[in-house]
Amino acid sequence: MSTISEHKKISQYGNVPNLVQDGLVERWVRSAKRWWPFYLMLAPGIIYFFVYHYMPIWEARIAFEQLRIIPPNVWVGLQHFAALASSPIFLQVLLNTVIISVMKLVFVFPVPIIVALLLNEVRTPGYRKIVQSVIYLPHYLSWVVIGGITIAVLSPTDGAVNDIISWMGFQPVPFMTDAGSIRWVVVFSEMWRSAGWDSLLYFAAIIGINPELYEAAEIDGAGRWQKIRHVTIPSIAPTIATLFILNVGLFFSTGLDQILNLTNPVIRSQIDIVDTYVYRIGLQTGQFELATAAGLLKGFVGMVLIVAAHLASKRLTGKGIW
Amino acid sequence: MPYNVSRRLVLKTGAAAALLASTILSGPASAAPVTIRVALKDFLSTDPTAVAYVAQVEKAMAKRGHDIHIELVDLPSSGYADALGIMLLSRDIPDLIYFQGGDEKFASQGVLEDWRPYIEKTKYLKNALYPHNKARLDNYPYLLYVHPLRAWQPVVREDWLKKAGAKPPETTKAFAALLRTLHEHDFDNDGTKNTWGITAAGSLEELDGFLNPAFGIDATWLKDEEGAWVNSQISDEERDKLKYYHQLFKDGLLDPEYITLNWQTKEDKFYTGRAGVVSASNAENVVTYETKMRALHPDVSLTVLDPPLGPKGQGLAAVDVSKESRGWALSALSEHKQEVVALLDFMASPEGQFMERLGVPGIHYKKEGDQIKPLAALGSWESPFLVASNYDPPIELLPASAEKYIDNTQRYFLADNKFSYPPEYAAALDAATNVYNAFAYELVSGKANFDQWDDYVAQWKSSGGSQLTEYAKQVLK
Repeated sequence: MSTISEHKKISQYGNVPNLVQDGLVERWVRSAKRWWPFYLMLAPGIIYFFVYHYMPIWEARIAFEQLRIIPPNVWVGLQHFAALASSPIFLQVLLNTVIISVMKLVFVFPVPIIVALLLNEVRTPGYRKIVQSVIYLPHYLSWVVIGGITIAVLSPTDGAVNDIISWMGFQPVPFMTDAGSIRWVVVFSEMWRSAGWDSLLYFAAIIGINPELYEAAEIDGAGRWQKIRHVTIPSIAPTIATLFILNVGLFFSTGLDQILNLTNPVIRSQIDIVDTYVYRIGLQTGQFELATAAGLLKGFVGMVLIVAAHLASKRLTGKGIW
Repeated sequence: MPYNVSRRLVLKTGAAAALLASTILSGPASAAPVTIRVALKDFLSTDPTAVAYVAQVEKAMAKRGHDIHIELVDLPSSGYADALGIMLLSRDIPDLIYFQGGDEKFASQGVLEDWRPYIEKTKYLKNALYPHNKARLDNYPYLLYVHPLRAWQPVVREDWLKKAGAKPPETTKAFAALLRTLHEHDFDNDGTKNTWGITAAGSLEELDGFLNPAFGIDATWLKDEEGAWVNSQISDEERDKLKYYHQLFKDGLLDPEYITLNWQTKEDKFYTGRAGVVSASNAENVVTYETKMRALHPDVSLTVLDPPLGPKGQGLAAVDVSKESRGWALSALSEHKQEVVALLDFMASPEGQFMERLGVPGIHYKKEGDQIKPLAALGSWESPFLVASNYDPPIELLPASAEKYIDNTQRYFLADNKFSYPPEYAAALDAATNVYNAFAYELVSGKANFDQWDDYVAQWKSSGGSQLTEYAKQVLK
């Protein structure tokens, strides 16, 4: 009703050009007048993203320049990209990044979903809250702390894990210096830190499922497992698909802080990723152009992956992020 | 007539106004202090001690006719070098900048001033330099770090050394014997023999610091039998040294977890009796070890050991004189270069050094008549600007162990032939160093054996080592 009256009101401006009368601008003005308090609330977010996420895109041009403190910068084309590619270990670094990313997608991504499903099955609200609080806790710890805990727990001389291994009659394993173990240490420490917190979104999605669906399933004789399989999982599938696609987009961002706190010279070749390499070669030596080139490359690959995953998801499940 | 009067009045009023204006304008302008912006790690405008220190420096400078205001640029302690680099790249360049690496890029673009002509004209600063400062300034004149040399030296508890019944070890064999005694006894009386002879934080660089010359590694680039330059990382001398480390590791004398330790966990092992010997990187570090050790064991003193004599010599690792790895830079864009130099010259003077060494009265020390009484805070005070080589403080500031540390650095000073690589060699240097670090641990821990040495050398060369060697040939001639 109000929309019609507003339309009539605006139509009184008979001599206003068509663009304003019927076009996007008219609709935007109308919408702004009507919803201005919401736009006002949205403004800080928009300003934040514009200043910190969009304006820097223009500065990314230094990936193609030699940065001069005293302007102007010198255009060098793809020189920094060529320097990255010509590094004797860059291929190994790329390979490590892909391996660790795939491991995290395969082994870490499903865990919060399982945790959320399990939490939903806990029937005592008090107990559920305690469990939730405990599993969210690691998210608040920095990687410096988690790195220290991981190294202490996995110590071959007095770490808890190796104490158990020795108690079971096996030889202690030097996890932190063993090339075969270190990537698993990265995956499991990530899992420990993020599984609880990441389950929050899935758990919220589960809570939002219409209870009538469960009641109907119960009437049809479905047990717990069948309700999970035929009601819960299909209902949260859009959330899973969206988060999976977003995770794919972050494929090359495998965790600078984490690796820096878990690495040592012996196993560096196994877990040296694009981010750590760029940090050493680019930032620590002041070669910001090189670091920007690597960041741009990462961003480009991430964008390609996210679009590809979105299209694949659309085709397979009918759901994507747009 | 009225016109004349009025004109005279206007002229007089105008003259008076001009005089007043010139007084107002010129008076305050000449009195306004020159603001010098200073970027220094852990010295922030939010720290009351730093603010008090700066105030006393400004006051003393004003007495000397330099009316300056020191504006501290606040940068985070964690990631200081990165934050500084980003700040400079955004063209916000303080007058006086403390670098902890990453300075070469700015020097190469002409943003940093050559210190030498300025130092030459100073009264005190030029005489405050150490020999290594002069050598480094000749090679790279953009950074100035007037502090005693930094070199790794072994430190042990004095009471444990006595309990071991050993004199300070003079040879590599005696050093290993001391480590064995520390390992095989329960000197900390905790009921278990859980003390490693020696530990280190993350690499064996700390041991190299006092054992390299013992095995003939007296420079980064050595000459092989045919007279060709070879990097010490792939030299026969290095192999012999790693064999010695391997024996320490095998006998349980070298902490097997050294590779995963950081500075804090290493210190913790030392204070809690799980490591007998650790290395100190500078004199303040020795003081810190001693202070923290005494917090836990009040009667314990520390001893700095001499570098042991080995099959091919004795001494501390050769010192890189290609450039300062950290230190002060003068901005070429600064409009107050002379004032900045005057500030450093004052800090090098006896009055400035008194402040640098003793801090702020009432916070770090107090005067009772002619006597200077140190206060507890003096233990954690570090000279913000410089420690002149030619100044003796009025009271004993360092414990005997730290004094010995400084004496040893002077006594065993040996200049390295290390040089800086151009930026395009960064990837090769990184790759070759990674290969060395990984293989050195594998050899020491016994995961690899010494028969694989040739494979390692080949891998080091193919990972960028050959490129580095070619460049070294051009530089060293």
